[in-house]
Amino acid sequence: TTTPTKRKEKEPFELDFLAPLSQPVADALYTPATTNSTISMPKTQWKSKTRNLLPDDKHFNSRQLLRLFLKPKARMGSRKARNGAQQAKPPTEEVDEAYWANAESNPDPMAPGDEGVEG
Amino acid sequence: LIINLRKIQEACCYEPTSTKKNQKQEDFEESDFNEEVGRCAIRVLTVKKSEPVGDRIVRFLGLFLKHASEKVQPEDVDTTDALPETPASRLTSHILSILLPLLTVRDKTVRFRVTQIIAHIVNTLDSIDDELFQLVRLGLLKRLRDKEANIRVQAVIGLGRLADGGEADEDDEDSDDEVAGGILEKLLDVLQNDPSAEVRRSLLLNLPFTPGTLPYLLERARDLDAATRRALYSRLLPALGDFRHLSLTHREKLLRWGLRDRDENVRKATARLFRERWIEDCAISQKAAEEEAPPQGQVSAPRFEALLELLERIDVVNSGVEGGIAFEAMKELWDGRPDYVDFITFDDDFWNDLTPESAFVARTFNDYCREAEGNKLQDMVEDKMPVVTAFAFFVQKHLNVLIDDVRKVALQDQDDADAEEDTVQQEFCVEQLLHIAMTLDYTDEVGRRQMFSIMRGALALAELPEECTKLVVDVLRTVCGVNAAGEREFCDIVLEAVAEVHDTILGEDPTQEDADESFHSARSELSDELTPTKAKKNQKRGKDEDSSEIDEEKAIREIMVNMKCLHIAQCMLQNVQCDLEENNILVTMLNNLVVPAVRSNEAPIRERGLLCLGLCCLLSKNLASENMTLFLHCFTKGHDTLQIIAVQILTDTLITHPSLLAPPLAAQDASTHDPSPINPLLKPLTKTFLRALASPSPSLPLTACLAVAKLLLLGLLPAASSMEILKALTIAYFNPETAENPALRQALTYFLPVFCHSRLSNAALMSQIAVSVIGKLVVMREEAEEEEEEMVGWTVVAGMIAEWTDGRKVVGGELCIKDPGERKDGAEEPHVLLATEILERALGAGCNKDERKPLLTLLSKLNIPSTNSPDSKYQAVSQEAFQTLHSLVAEAVETKLAIDATTRNALTKLDTALSKRTGESDK
Repeated sequence: TTTPTKRKEKEPFELDFLAPLSQPVADALYTPATTNSTISMPKTQWKSKTRNLLPDDKHFNSRQLLRLFLKPKARMGSRKARNGAQQAKPPTEEVDEAYWANAESNPDPMAPGDEGVEG
Repeated sequence: LIINLRKIQEACCYEPTSTKKNQKQEDFEESDFNEEVGRCAIRVLTVKKSEPVGDRIVRFLGLFLKHASEKVQPEDVDTTDALPETPASRLTSHILSILLPLLTVRDKTVRFRVTQIIAHIVNTLDSIDDELFQLVRLGLLKRLRDKEANIRVQAVIGLGRLADGGEADEDDEDSDDEVAGGILEKLLDVLQNDPSAEVRRSLLLNLPFTPGTLPYLLERARDLDAATRRALYSRLLPALGDFRHLSLTHREKLLRWGLRDRDENVRKATARLFRERWIEDCAISQKAAEEEAPPQGQVSAPRFEALLELLERIDVVNSGVEGGIAFEAMKELWDGRPDYVDFITFDDDFWNDLTPESAFVARTFNDYCREAEGNKLQDMVEDKMPVVTAFAFFVQKHLNVLIDDVRKVALQDQDDADAEEDTVQQEFCVEQLLHIAMTLDYTDEVGRRQMFSIMRGALALAELPEECTKLVVDVLRTVCGVNAAGEREFCDIVLEAVAEVHDTILGEDPTQEDADESFHSARSELSDELTPTKAKKNQKRGKDEDSSEIDEEKAIREIMVNMKCLHIAQCMLQNVQCDLEENNILVTMLNNLVVPAVRSNEAPIRERGLLCLGLCCLLSKNLASENMTLFLHCFTKGHDTLQIIAVQILTDTLITHPSLLAPPLAAQDASTHDPSPINPLLKPLTKTFLRALASPSPSLPLTACLAVAKLLLLGLLPAASSMEILKALTIAYFNPETAENPALRQALTYFLPVFCHSRLSNAALMSQIAVSVIGKLVVMREEAEEEEEEMVGWTVVAGMIAEWTDGRKVVGGELCIKDPGERKDGAEEPHVLLATEILERALGAGCNKDERKPLLTLLSKLNIPSTNSPDSKYQAVSQEAFQTLHSLVAEAVETKLAIDATTRNALTKLDTALSKRTGESDK
């Protein structure tokens, strides 16, 4: 049949098909827009410079900061562990500020690291 | 009086019967009925968009019209041309003509419903009166530019169908084609430019698939909106049919973009598309070739041929290289198709007849299982892979084929595209085997030795391509064992091979060349006697050319030898960690191979030599400190590539030997003479990094950015240098010119907040430079405006700087945000410092209005609460700072520094807060 199946409504919405049009409704129906521009998108939005596309994602990976440029397999700071775990796996998750906060807390004793930075 | 929903539905039920009545009895009241329906339709128009009943009535209306017109159709099949008028079509026309003028009313709800009904009618009915069609088209096209996004969505839904209809009629009627073309063009324009993602998304799903629209549709794979991207992968592409109709570039791009999307759901949708749809497309056609048509809607059983075809269709020889998308795609496939994981087997025939595709299957399967957690897959891969001895045999076999291929290609005079292609494919196969070889278990001594000798032999072959060479060295390193003795053996073996390569190329050829030459000249002598003097002259000149040609050839060969040897050395050094000076053979290599290369006049040799020297420096601090100035010099004098290498070496060396930057020892003792002893390397180093960052080349600033990011995050540079560099980085981040270098921008997007929030002192460093950064940006903005470039607004800039310098966001300070009473030592310091800096600058004479505005905007974003920390120790530290700031604020209030209400309020608030705090401490 052409009738939609009857469904229970949580909150019946009432629409009176028989009642004559009330004034506000009639107003809403028959008040044309004063100008075309009041109901249209401003022209400035017609064109998008980027065509709404994302910029090219270069897939910056914070883990690359843990590797040396020349020896990508060796992890930074692993040179002390001479005999062995050269290829210790770098962390698989994103490297965040907490990682660096910890990495910094025990820098190389010889590093002039942070002197004066506190100022 | 009031009819509730049910009754509406009942009333509606009544209508179809009444139509039928009309039709059957040819009742005179047809027009009355039409009036009635039209009247009811108007009632719907004011129903709000959020009300589902409205949508339901619209759907009902459409369904009813469709039903009514279908009822009529069969009777009129014989009247072919002009569409017959029926009660249903008259009713449709009636409703449409009521609605059309209402498309431009002011009330947006009405516009929405009108557009929705029209779009719905257009989509449910097959035909509309011609005149009305034009009006509908025009009306909807206007609504395509409606202010309201949801109205545009409806217009798009309606027009999508119209564009489609036109396309279908293309063969019959040219006029329609034009119309549809016009619509299509407009719709594609909207698809690219509409600011609302919802509009773009519904358009994406409502446009017809044609070769013309396809590029526009696929382009949405990079839409700004994640849901739109996902819709493309989860709905459009599966509906598109066989993926093999897409071009190779499209397949690769879609996979790459989808699998590497930042939104997890897009990645999932893409993975599913690949492992469920694309493989199925291949499986079905493979099956069809052998058997009867497959049952519809059922997943085909795993099929090795399907997998191979799928990989071929994504061009695995290119997409399966390191970093290629085929890896991620296969990982997803193994991950989501356990049936394939179980199904796959590798017998001897498999290993004997490798293709790039099958080799890649084996390699990714091996990787997937070995990286998996749990023993099940690990055991499975052990079962399915051949034992090491057998595997070594296959590696040897395919290596031999490869070397033969390379030799054949080298001997050919003309370019033989087929032979070259074969070689590329074989090379790819061998690479996959070597990758697998690196993961094997070499506890079996027989297998280990076998692999060892095969790798050793392969390395000595000059014909071995570069990527394979690198992999062979890596395998050798694995085979030699991780301990110091293993490393020494590894170095010995590799350098032996280097010597052999050197001899094979240089050793055999010069003698041959000599022989050739003498033979050649002998023959010329002979011909000289037979020909007149004129020819003799020619001959002589020819001979000169010959010998210069030979010289050239010799030079080229020498370069090639050197390049090859340096490459092997470089691959080896990447795998070595010992102390250089303790390993004689490495020292010999350094002196005989690397040092001459660094001095070479040939740019490529010098580059490789420098790389090797850099690697050696990582193994020896003495060597490093001797060569720092050389690397700096290479940066100053070198071309682009050399500059990048120099920056990389300098950074790696500093990270490996941080003590190179320590203040000179002498100065540390005699601190009275020179209160801040400075390492002589620092100044040129900082200058080098700054210059690299500012370079116009696209890749150098990125390298430099990554380099200094490492150094700064590790805290390896002293404050003065860090400050200068941080300033350059921050300015680069906001500089409109770097927009063209997204890789740099993305690296900075990571670095700046992470750096500032990893340490309080880093946030304070940012506070110290922020004011001068803003000064620079003011100038930059003026220039940008002149060149009509776009630059981020001050509110954004101020917001970011305020956030970066917010001590509460520094690691360990999280509690401060949740609970304002909680304080971390010094968490306020960066903002207090920044506020002081801002006011000092803003109150200064040299500060004009253009600069004051952003400074004060930033000031209003800082967080300086009015209550003191309960920690008395902390108060004591910064009390003085508070007082200084307070007097500055007071001055600012007095001199009416503020430019608008917001900043004025911010100043007043700060003033009260500070009075309270300084007052409190006075008590």
